[in-house]
Amino acid sequence: MTPEDEDLLIEQVAGAWRPAPTDDTLTYHKAWHDLGEAARMKAFDRARALRTAEAALDPDGLSTTARAVLSRIPR
Amino acid sequence: MDLDVYLSAIASGDTVAFGRWLADAEPSVRASLRSFAAVVDVEAVLQEALLRVWQVAPRFVPDGGANGLVRLAVRIGRNLAVSEVRRTRARPVEPADLEAEPDATVAAPDPMLRAAIAECRDKLPAKPREAFDARLASGGGSDDADLATSLGMRLNTFLQNFTRARKLLAECLGRRGIVIDQELGA
Repeated sequence: MTPEDEDLLIEQVAGAWRPAPTDDTLTYHKAWHDLGEAARMKAFDRARALRTAEAALDPDGLSTTARAVLSRIPR
Repeated sequence: MDLDVYLSAIASGDTVAFGRWLADAEPSVRASLRSFAAVVDVEAVLQEALLRVWQVAPRFVPDGGANGLVRLAVRIGRNLAVSEVRRTRARPVEPADLEAEPDATVAAPDPMLRAAIAECRDKLPAKPREAFDARLASGGGSDDADLATSLGMRLNTFLQNFTRARKLLAECLGRRGIVIDQELGA
């Protein structure tokens, strides 16, 4: 894998989208499995930075993680 | 800042109050999971932990200390992460990391930072901004492949545009003396 390819995987893992959970098992982003430990740490740090920016741009101060959680609450 | 001011409303099923709690609690809970990031998908663990807070909030009894619900979220998240380490048979996390008392301090949002990020976002070129805005608008509800399709881009093009947007945002903030996190511009 080239560094450029790896960085595109990190970019995906740093996003808030995750597949809908099935039964009681957490569902990981499939790209997460293709990353080594250093790249996973990078994805974590990038996600943290992105969520700060997202929350700052949201009228309610919510990041995409917060919006994803709220969308899972049955209405 | 004690986020337990939202507790009674959350316990009675008020999703707006839960959203306000989430907005301020998420960074602390996420930070508390960093030691697991190499071995579990923290984003998946974090979202599940925050959802479980909503589910158990009606039965939560505060201990009198500040940010009881945040501390509960941290405990739920770490327990979930430990379960994932066992389930996936990932390499063990350092015992010191497991035993460390997580920080449940909650920082107030900075209005000047909000204004600066909004101004920098408005200066993004068209395609990078489309990719950045699509992620924001989806609220974590669509994967990047679907977002790319909706914008008429290939997945790699979408991701390259998103990367460019992220780096330009960091550069713009940097010119104003603002560094959110080195990784924003990496």
